[in-house]
Amino acid sequence: MERYSRQVLFQPIGREGQEKLGRARVLLVGCGALGSVLAEILVRAGIGRLTLADRDYVDESNLQRQSLYTEADAREGLPKAVAAVRHLREINSAVEIVERIADVNALSVASLVQEQDLILDGTDNFETRYLLNDASLKWNIPWIYGACVGSYGLCLAFLPGLTACLRCVLQQLPPPGSSPTCDTSGVVGPIVHLVAALQAAEALKILTGNLRQVNRKVVTVDVWENRVATLDLSQLNRDGRCPACGQRRFEFLEGAHEGRTQALCGRNAVQIWRSSPRPVDFKPIAERLARLGPVQYNEFLLRAHVDNLEIALFRDGRGIIRGTQNSDEAQRIYAKYIGN
Amino acid sequence: MSIKVLFFASLADLTGMRETEVDSRAHTSVASIYTKFARDFPRLEEHRASLLYAVNSEFVQPDSPVHDGDEVAFFPPVSGG
Ligand SMILES: [Zn+2]
Repeated sequence: MERYSRQVLFQPIGREGQEKLGRARVLLVGCGALGSVLAEILVRAGIGRLTLADRDYVDESNLQRQSLYTEADAREGLPKAVAAVRHLREINSAVEIVERIADVNALSVASLVQEQDLILDGTDNFETRYLLNDASLKWNIPWIYGACVGSYGLCLAFLPGLTACLRCVLQQLPPPGSSPTCDTSGVVGPIVHLVAALQAAEALKILTGNLRQVNRKVVTVDVWENRVATLDLSQLNRDGRCPACGQRRFEFLEGAHEGRTQALCGRNAVQIWRSSPRPVDFKPIAERLARLGPVQYNEFLLRAHVDNLEIALFRDGRGIIRGTQNSDEAQRIYAKYIGN
Repeated sequence: MSIKVLFFASLADLTGMRETEVDSRAHTSVASIYTKFARDFPRLEEHRASLLYAVNSEFVQPDSPVHDGDEVAFFPPVSGG
């Protein structure tokens, strides 16, 4: 226990809390910027088991903020789950670390969340977060939302039965392309570490049984605009009308909102469409993508060139990614550049 | 007779304002304040259904009433990670 002596000395954790941590099982979904900071903090803190799920690979552009990865990882193009596990094992060999190179979706989430005490959000899109929200409620597992873009970020912990859920707070998915992503508007390292630190603090409280200490407010921070603001959710009226926590209709788990893909044979392209089409505004998307490469659009179609791929986006949100036949990659590109 | 209005992150970029004021006599709800700004900045409209609304640092629904002296804030959720 010498290794954890400073944490054990911290009175709200103590020896008992450390023992709870040593038995705790955590699922981390997404091991990009937030995920790699979260993974490191929890593995150093001495949790029992970390399951790390990620669908991406290490790229040079990740190194500015994704603190677990090295130039060698990027040169090798290693899957993030693989590279992360290698480094985490060097940091703390006593923690059981399970790698899952996988897209977390309506099909795969059920097996991932079994026998977990906490779900940590390191994802880069809202659809996966709504899916995690459903899984959290269905299997009664707390989860912690964290997200950032630019210099701004938010954190909020969800405790099934005790707090509101993501759908109480955000009733609708933001329309695709309406909000900036890190790949179109950038992100600075400090906001990543700050948001991940807020999430990790809530994780330690939950895993050591200090539920009363869990922050029931949304915390928002902008490290460039010098603004910190909180939103108190205690007056949120949970009147049972929320489809997820009130009526226990888990639409994202049932796949009703899943993005769908189809490889377009012989065209080296993948089509992605949505089961609930919503009109897309091309102008803001074109303005963001223009910083990355040539973009043109008319009233029917937007075409952009990024990463040696061509993205064609239709009004109803349907996209065609040319230059790949891999549907996981096409989904990743869509989430990166169109959002959600 | 005024209400302070705060825009965060991309909403501040969209409106070019971090902080402003509106006449409290012209508004009965958080949504009516948002509508006023959406007339000047139409791109606010696409965010309307997926925002966090606060009055005096407390989460509220868009139809919540507003009063003289209140501070109303609009936060966009973000998805990056
Ligand atoms: Zn709910």
